[in-house]
Amino acid sequence: MGGVLVRPIVLTVLIYLFLKFIVPILPHSAPLPSSLIFLYLMLTTAGIVIFETLSGASKDAFFGPIFRFLTGESGGALSSARYLVLALFPLLVGWQTYGSTASSDAPPAENRTIHPAPPGEYTGLSNPVPKTPENIMYGKGLYASRCSPCHGNFDGKGFAASGFTPPPANFKDPTTIAMLQESYLFWRIKRGGVGLPVEGMPWKSAMPRWELELSDEDIWKVIMGEYDGAGQKPRTWDESE
Amino acid sequence: MARVRRPGTRWWVGAVGLVGLCVAAEVQPAYSQQSVSVRAALVKGTLPTDDPTAAVWATAAVSEFPMSPQVHWPVRITEVTAKSVKVRGLHDGTNVAILLEYSDPSEDPEDAAALEFMVGDTKAHFAHGQPMAQVQGGPVNIWYWKNKDGKGVDMGAKGFGTLKPHAHQDVKAKGVFQDGVWKVVFSRPLHTEYLEEDTQFKPGEFASIAFAIWDGKKTDSGQPKEKGSEKAISSWWYFRADAPPDYSPYMYAVLAVALALGFELVLVRRLKKGS
Repeated sequence: MGGVLVRPIVLTVLIYLFLKFIVPILPHSAPLPSSLIFLYLMLTTAGIVIFETLSGASKDAFFGPIFRFLTGESGGALSSARYLVLALFPLLVGWQTYGSTASSDAPPAENRTIHPAPPGEYTGLSNPVPKTPENIMYGKGLYASRCSPCHGNFDGKGFAASGFTPPPANFKDPTTIAMLQESYLFWRIKRGGVGLPVEGMPWKSAMPRWELELSDEDIWKVIMGEYDGAGQKPRTWDESE
Repeated sequence: MARVRRPGTRWWVGAVGLVGLCVAAEVQPAYSQQSVSVRAALVKGTLPTDDPTAAVWATAAVSEFPMSPQVHWPVRITEVTAKSVKVRGLHDGTNVAILLEYSDPSEDPEDAAALEFMVGDTKAHFAHGQPMAQVQGGPVNIWYWKNKDGKGVDMGAKGFGTLKPHAHQDVKAKGVFQDGVWKVVFSRPLHTEYLEEDTQFKPGEFASIAFAIWDGKKTDSGQPKEKGSEKAISSWWYFRADAPPDYSPYMYAVLAVALALGFELVLVRRLKKGS
């Protein structure tokens, strides 16, 4: 008995192994949360049950071995396995119940939006400062004195970075300034962390409000210096359309 | 002719393995204290509110947080003495005590340390609760200690330049300097009557906490190396005073086991009747 069950079990195990170990190593992928893997396995199981019970004959073939196993009619080594399963199931239920009712030591989850939408007046602004070597150098100088303590050598690893959470942005990372327009950086530098909307958790950001200390022209120059120093190019309207 | 197969053992080994894999996928790894929060355990007996070196502190879980020079607003500083701070907490259901421990090469009268908390449910910026453009922020409650004063000061702020001591003073603090290490213990009742000014601790619930440290060593100019906004700081982390033991999850688990066993018995009996 049990031959009819081998295929579904193997299929489920293979899907689990794929989700757990293969998906994370795929390009542009990431490890799946355990809860999502569990959900996929449940969907897989439901699909298998539906497929195997489409007809009366297939239903009997599928459930027959399970019923015989549960009632102890299978005999042999399966009797021991039956007791094992019958003992494990209540323990598993008890374990899950404890886990879902016991208080957690984990702090509240923080769902911070890393690049929240800027206010309307900052959308689509173009850099009015000519992109000359002199202006870029000037911007890099401002960056060195004002920004590098936290953002370091454009890598987010400045000497003042360690105590801050969230950490300062790494401009060399392709998911930061390379995917943003210059107008977005202008907003973030000018208004600082306290200018963020609620989803950006402004109460945790250490980014200064540079509009109090730098002119708009200097901020645009800093932006040019940042992109040049990080070896990145700003996202443009043409590319975003 | 029907195919006869000898009952094998391989498939049920696979089934058990599958159950194990599903459980492994579902079960979250145990949370480790990666210094995102300070946990104040509930203790019986006297709380060491005036003794930073009391033996009971060794029983408290220690968390360590990195410190940064304050570069958020002028006057800034680029290099600070304290690179990190170790934090422990204890409470007895009435009072809470929080111990800071950090390195400092010399004991100086201007050496100082502070804790910062949000007040109420409104979020506040970690830099003295300065106003935020798109979010209505709340005030912060600051517990301040300076070596030469030898006491704790209960303060409040809502933005730069608004820091001032509260009219009521219910924070105590004491520091001990030994072998290049400051140990400073702050204490206060978990609850106070000043809900608009003081942070209130509800055992079992997380609160936000931040730290500040000043090295008061005098420089050649005669001024302290770190003073005012020139200090070592952290941004917000978490603090929680443990709730009293709750055994109800064990009771629910036992109940769930009993129900699952009952379900199994009914299922097997019905299946046997059906067959």
